[in-house]
This record gives sequence, C-alpha cells and structure tokens, in this order.
Amino acid sequence: MKHTRFKIGFVRGSLLAAFLLMITSWMYIFSVEDADFLRLFSEKNKQFTIEFLQNLAGIGVENPAFTNAESWKSAAVLSFKTLVMSVMAVGFATLGMLLTVIPAASTAASGMLTLSRTRYGWFIYGFIRLFYTVSRAVPELLWAMIIILILKPGILPGAIALALHNFGILGKLCAETVEDMDIRPVRSLASSGASKPQIFLYGIFPTILPKFISYIVYRWEVIIRTTVVVGLVGAGGLGHEFKLSMSWFHYTEVALYLICYVILVFLVDLISEGMRKIAQR
Amino acid sequence: MQHKLMYFHSKTILTIVMLLTFIASLFSVEWGGELVHAGGWTTMLQMIQGMLQPDFSLEILKLAFMSAWITLAYAVAGMTLAVLFGFVFGVLSSGILLKNRGASHYAVKNFFRGMLGFLRAIHELVWALLFVAATGISPFAAIFAIAIPYSGILGRVFSDIFTNVPEKPLQSLRANGATRLQQLLYGYLPFAAPDLISYAFYRFECAIRSSAIMSFIGLGGLGFQIQLSMQDLHYDEVWTFLIFLIGMVMIVDLWSQMLRKRLVA
Repeated sequence: MKHTRFKIGFVRGSLLAAFLLMITSWMYIFSVEDADFLRLFSEKNKQFTIEFLQNLAGIGVENPAFTNAESWKSAAVLSFKTLVMSVMAVGFATLGMLLTVIPAASTAASGMLTLSRTRYGWFIYGFIRLFYTVSRAVPELLWAMIIILILKPGILPGAIALALHNFGILGKLCAETVEDMDIRPVRSLASSGASKPQIFLYGIFPTILPKFISYIVYRWEVIIRTTVVVGLVGAGGLGHEFKLSMSWFHYTEVALYLICYVILVFLVDLISEGMRKIAQR
Repeated sequence: MQHKLMYFHSKTILTIVMLLTFIASLFSVEWGGELVHAGGWTTMLQMIQGMLQPDFSLEILKLAFMSAWITLAYAVAGMTLAVLFGFVFGVLSSGILLKNRGASHYAVKNFFRGMLGFLRAIHELVWALLFVAATGISPFAAIFAIAIPYSGILGRVFSDIFTNVPEKPLQSLRANGATRLQQLLYGYLPFAAPDLISYAFYRFECAIRSSAIMSFIGLGGLGFQIQLSMQDLHYDEVWTFLIFLIGMVMIVDLWSQMLRKRLVA
C-alpha cells in the first residue's frame, strides 16, 4: 500500500515539477531574455519574412537555381554524398555497438546469459554503459565541431560525428533488447558446450536480429535528417553547401538544397519502412 | 517448413545487403594519409589534456550554470509547445474524434499524417536557420525551431498510442451513448496518459540536446559557450561546459527512467 502511494507521489511530484519548470522557463524567456512575442509580428518582420520567402521561391531572381539543370546535377551529387555519409555513419555506429553490446547487457554481466560469471563482468558493464551515456549526451553537432578540428573536412568527419552520437543510442537500445531476450536457447547452447562465438551466432544473433535491424533502420532515419546539421560546421554534403549558399544569400540555391533534403528524408523513410517490414516478418 | 526457411532467407539477405552497402560506402573516402589536419594530432592531445583537467574556476562555473539554465529554459519552452501541438495533431491524425469508416475519415487522418511527416522531416537547426534568416535572432526562433519537429515526432507517437488503447472500455462508453469528446476524455486519455507522459519525458531529454546546439545560430546557452571556448582553443573550458551538458542530460535521463518505471511497468 505504502509502495503504491510512493509510486503515485513520484509521478505527481514529477508532473508538478515539470509544470513549475515550464512556468519559470516561459517567465524567464519573457522577462530576462526580453522576448517580445508581438514584435515577432511587427510590420518590419512581416516585410522581412515575405522578402525571404520570395527570395526562396526565386521571385524576381534571374535564373533561379531550381530551374537550372547544372545546379540540379550538382545538388544530386551532393545528395548522393550525403546519403553515403549517412550509410557510413550507421555502419560505424552499428560496428561499435555490435562489439560492445553483449558485455553491456546486465544479463551477460551477471553471468545469467552464458552461465559463466567473470569477476570483471560488472566492471566492463559499467564502463561500457558510461561510455554509451557520454557519447549520446553530446549532440552530433558538437561531436562534429570537435572532430573537424582533427580531421580534414569531408564526409568522413561527418560520418564519425554522427556515428559517435548514435553509437550511444543504438548501444543502449540494443543492450536492452539483449537483456529482454529469451535466454533459454542460449543457456541450452552454453550447457551443451558451445563456444562464445557459437553462442553468439546461433543463440543470440537470430533472436535479436529483427529488433536490431529495426533499431538500426530507425537510427538511419534520424541520421539522414542530421547529416545536414553536421555539414553546417564543415563536414561535407548538402549541409555544407546549404550553409555557404545561406551566407552568400543565394536563396534559390538554399531552396533547391532544401528540396533535395526533404526528398532524401522521404526516400530514406520509404526504404527503411520496407526494410523494417522484411525484418519483422 | 519451406515457408519458415524463406523467412530466414529474406532476413539474411537483408543483413547481407546492409553490410555490402556499408562496405561500398567506405570506398567513397580516400583512405590516404591526407585525412588528418597538419596539426590534428596535437589538437587531439590538447583536447585530451583539457578533458583530464577541466577548468573549474568560479567564473567559468558561474557561466556554465547560467548557460545551462538558458539551454534548459529553451528546451522546456520548446517542449511545452511541442506537447500541446503534438497532442492536438496526435488526436486528429489517429482519427479517434471522427466518425468511423467514412471516406472523409481516411482523408482527414491521412492529411494530418502527411502533415506530421512534413513537420518531422526537417531538422530543428535547419528550421532555426530559416527563422533567423527570416526574422532575425530572437528566442522564439529557437523555441519554434525545437517545437516544430518535436510536435511532428510527438504527434506521430501520440497517435500510435491512441490507436493502441484497449477497445473494451471504449465499446462500453459508446454503448452508453458517450460523445466522441467524452470518449476521448474518459476512454482514451486514462489509458494513454502513462505512455504519453513517459514518451514526452523521453523527448525532453532530446530537446535539451537540441537546445544546446541552437547556439550555432547565435542564441545563448551551453553550445554557444562551447563554440566560443573552442574558437579560443580553451579546451579545458570546453570540457567544463560539456560536463555540464552531459550531466544535465543524464539527470533528465534518470528522471524519465524512474518515471517510466512507475508509469508503464
């Protein structure tokens, strides 16, 4: 009974805290930051916005980028590069995740999964979990800003930055899948003397494969949206050119890249939907 | 048996295709010695040095607290709008307020689904850039930029949650002549609320990260300080701010996990 009361108390307290946080945040934004909501709709801003939208649509601009075959061609090349970057990022993240996911599951750390307990199991578990948390707490853009100081601009630093962030997320999701999986087949394999790789290949891999694929594909959807963002700080692809066109006020190019970006996102969504269906069958 | 075998095949083929695509993508990079900057390795050493000795002087700590609060405030403000719009869009696109099985039912549902897809498609930072280009720097640029894609994501998930609400209590409500709105209030909401809250809290964690990178367009917060310190090559300060960001995300993560355990399980 007491337990239930605490349960409800915590939920109520959380909601109350969230509500208070909302009020203080909005008050802070309105008072200290001096945000004026009405000024947002001032005559001047309206003018600016209309002008900006007209520029994007290429009204009154000579030879807008999206009627030009040349710019479409270069945009297509950039889109392809961006796609390659996203694939590479997912690949790196998956590779890192696959190497660490088994020791990062609490069932493996406690020895329940493989029926063999090691003294350092929990230590490795904690270490990898901390690594996951840190790598996913830092946004892709910040990773990119750090990595661009070390690596030369191109799609590789972008892919690594995206991979670092998504490695933490994929790791967490997939480790939880391993924790929730049915351990009986694995135990039966282990007790009949299968080696570690055999246990992984025949016991764990087939069970978790559909879930893993659906997570990987889900992260790919997110990554393709974020490729533009890491491009902004100098990693290659659509984002880089987007930023350049923005700072040169080539707004019709901006519009063209935005179109390509949205097409790319919907394309990846479509492919991933199909992949998920195959994986879930 | 034959059937089963085929399932296995399609999954294996998919895995192989994914693997091959990844390997093919690697060929687009020229793996020479030209990948690293001239001073790249020294920079990395300096960065590791900074990580081992972050700058914890009072001045920097004060600044970090202040920027952490700004980041949090923007995230919370963006999430407030996102939850509101996400809820409305979720209800509309799940079609629970509409008459059953008409052509208009599907039309409305799919219209809002498509709209949610569009909201989701563009990353928050791109929205922010566009807002700043259109109206100049203002806190609302960041708040709206967070709110738009997040209401798309929340709306999509909320609508899925609404469609998965158990059917029995709803039937009983309907049999007793409840209106659509009453069904929403007494049938859908009580069952969906735990899932709605726990997902919103999960997204809140993501919103903090998004709000931190809003600095890139010139709005204050942790990301802005990180960028400044990075430009001054003060890596020890960079790590102080990064630790604040990581700490904040971890706290919210923990909070949402505790909440989820009590709500959903």
